[in-house]
Amino acid sequence: MRPILMKGHERPLTFLKYNRDGDLLFSCAKDHNPTVWFADNGERLGTYRGHNGAVWTCDVSRDSVRLITGSADQTAKLWDVQSGLQLYTFNFDSPARSVDFSVGDRLAVITTDPFMELSSAIHVKRIADDPTEQSGESLLLIKGPLGRINRAIWGPLNSTIISAGEDAVIRIWDSETGKLLKESDKESGHKKTVTSLAKSADGSHFLTGSLDKSARLWDTRSLTLIKTYVTERPVNAVTMSPLLDHVVIGGGQDASAVTTTDHRAGKFEAKFFDKILQEEIGGVKGHFGPINALAFNPDGKSFSSGGEDGYVRLHHFDPDYFNIKI
Amino acid sequence: MAGSAPEGSQFDARQYDAKMNELLGTDGQDFFTSYDEVCESFDAMGLQENLLRGIYAYGFEKPSAIQQRGIVPFCKGLDVIQQAQSGTGKTATFCSGVLQQLDYSLVECQALVLAPTRELAQQIEKVMRALGDYLGVKVHVCVGGTIVREDQRILSSGVHVVVGTPGRVFDMLCRQSLRPDNIRMFVLDEADEMLSRGFKDQIYDIFQLLPPKIQVGVFSATMPPEALEITRKFMNKPVRILVKRDELTLEGIKQFFVNVDKEDWKLETLCDLYETLAITQSVIFVNTRRKVDWLTDKMRSRDHTVSATHGDMDQNTRDIIMREFRSGSSRVLITTDLLARGIDVQQVSLVINYDLPTQPENYLHRIGRSGRFGRKGVAINFVTGDDERMLFDIQKFYNVQIEELPANVADLI
Repeated sequence: MRPILMKGHERPLTFLKYNRDGDLLFSCAKDHNPTVWFADNGERLGTYRGHNGAVWTCDVSRDSVRLITGSADQTAKLWDVQSGLQLYTFNFDSPARSVDFSVGDRLAVITTDPFMELSSAIHVKRIADDPTEQSGESLLLIKGPLGRINRAIWGPLNSTIISAGEDAVIRIWDSETGKLLKESDKESGHKKTVTSLAKSADGSHFLTGSLDKSARLWDTRSLTLIKTYVTERPVNAVTMSPLLDHVVIGGGQDASAVTTTDHRAGKFEAKFFDKILQEEIGGVKGHFGPINALAFNPDGKSFSSGGEDGYVRLHHFDPDYFNIKI
Repeated sequence: MAGSAPEGSQFDARQYDAKMNELLGTDGQDFFTSYDEVCESFDAMGLQENLLRGIYAYGFEKPSAIQQRGIVPFCKGLDVIQQAQSGTGKTATFCSGVLQQLDYSLVECQALVLAPTRELAQQIEKVMRALGDYLGVKVHVCVGGTIVREDQRILSSGVHVVVGTPGRVFDMLCRQSLRPDNIRMFVLDEADEMLSRGFKDQIYDIFQLLPPKIQVGVFSATMPPEALEITRKFMNKPVRILVKRDELTLEGIKQFFVNVDKEDWKLETLCDLYETLAITQSVIFVNTRRKVDWLTDKMRSRDHTVSATHGDMDQNTRDIIMREFRSGSSRVLITTDLLARGIDVQQVSLVINYDLPTQPENYLHRIGRSGRFGRKGVAINFVTGDDERMLFDIQKFYNVQIEELPANVADLI
């Protein structure tokens, strides 16, 4: 497969997200301007201008009408996908890290970083149908555990929120009461910062990536560890195929060490693992910096990677990929 | 490449080490301040809240090695000499140090940052403004090639920080448009270049006009003993962070040579590589301005799309070309050592030394354009028979391996 190289960001990529239909790809980077691309040919469709800091994550509504972005400028913003207009700004007292629309798009979960005496937090906001009626009020505020909460997503039926971050623990919270329901087992779970999280297509399980050089697969309801995928590099990004039992893991050595260590030490390939057998199937190389973001097209026929090098690479699979035997 | 470098070679390692030991040895101990604190997070540095907000908004999460050691002593008002490899966060270090110490209620110039090129000054200003956004910092770029009256107008309306090139800054000081009365911080970026023959007199003239009690910070990826010696004349017991010469090169940048044998064959070799060049952002360094023009014409006459910049071009053109290159509209840039230092373009992954540099330090600076924070890079050196000695010297001096270019160079990028 020959990748399409997408150039538009002037600083490192942080996040990639396809819309549900799989025809649009949204990218976030440290250069303030999320960008939307045609997912088929990689042409740039537009940018969303308004943030004044690095943008860490985004999410798009099911009908591809609304975009939400979380930024280090201490805001999360709602946008109109088509026109690029800003619809609302949620203001916080510290950088916004992770954003996720609920099923039905009526709620959003937003995490904020610890800052000086402020602890990290998980906020639940109601998303109004009519942007002019949007309010910044929180339905729920959960004061966080230690460290940044790098990812928070909605659980089944929007009844729970799953969070993971710097303290390596994955937690399930009740989304109405804020009560902590479950924590990942410290013995079998991650040992270092959880950097990334990807839900399966049916939501029954999810994958987490960590600086402990592993990715782990968890049951969404019971938080039971199902599988572990061991690599030899810190993991910054994970994703799963919606069609095949394949897991993709990306990362590489810490960005601050890249230029001062031997050029063979980077390990910047995206690695494919068999989800069931936990064996590596192959890799896709090309980035010359750590991979920070991965996403699978919902149609299962392509995936994208975003790197510290500022490039988004779009990979359409060859027919052979769908006939891999282990 | 056998044999040892003769005495007096530009890359004479023994002489370099002897001079460095003399400066840093028992005699030198009295000149420097010891400072060993390391801060592993920005929160631990005692920075003011709105500066921290700016640092995190910029996208920083953890301080790099130079930032862990270098920000705090600068914030305490100490003179500092800070050396670190290319692309490892020196600009953010001195920007944070300056921003921490400004009095924002006093809209007078309190910090002066000097850089050797206009492009680099503009880049520093951008970082300073981004990090200082929540503080309401006012930064002005004071460089040649722009309208003098405009500079005068902006300076008279008041700014906190001036970032400039020496010529224009000196002019503004002489015209009294830039008043030095409140300047308490003086930063030299690419300090060894600023203290070299070409700039030294200008720096001296500017320094004479500044208040007697002033904090000085000097920063560069290369800090030869000659530059270090000059700092003794105007610095007061600085805190030093220095890197040994054989640890300066970036191992993350693969370095290759191509034996082109004759000068005339370099062009053919470059054209052979062109398709590889255009895959990503590339910079081609040549040694003279005339040669930039010549090579640009030759490449274009062969239907290769290239852009070019050098010091003789008018400023507006330079700005446009730089903007196009940063955004990726143009991908292959031919230039002189004007852009060897400091320029940070995210996606440059390949540097070609069409000519080897005449100044030894510039080898490190040139290849440092391709290996930036978090990204590997590739550097290719075109070597004629006359260049073999210099290539050997570079390898030995900086303790680096430069291999012959393999056929599959496209796979490396």
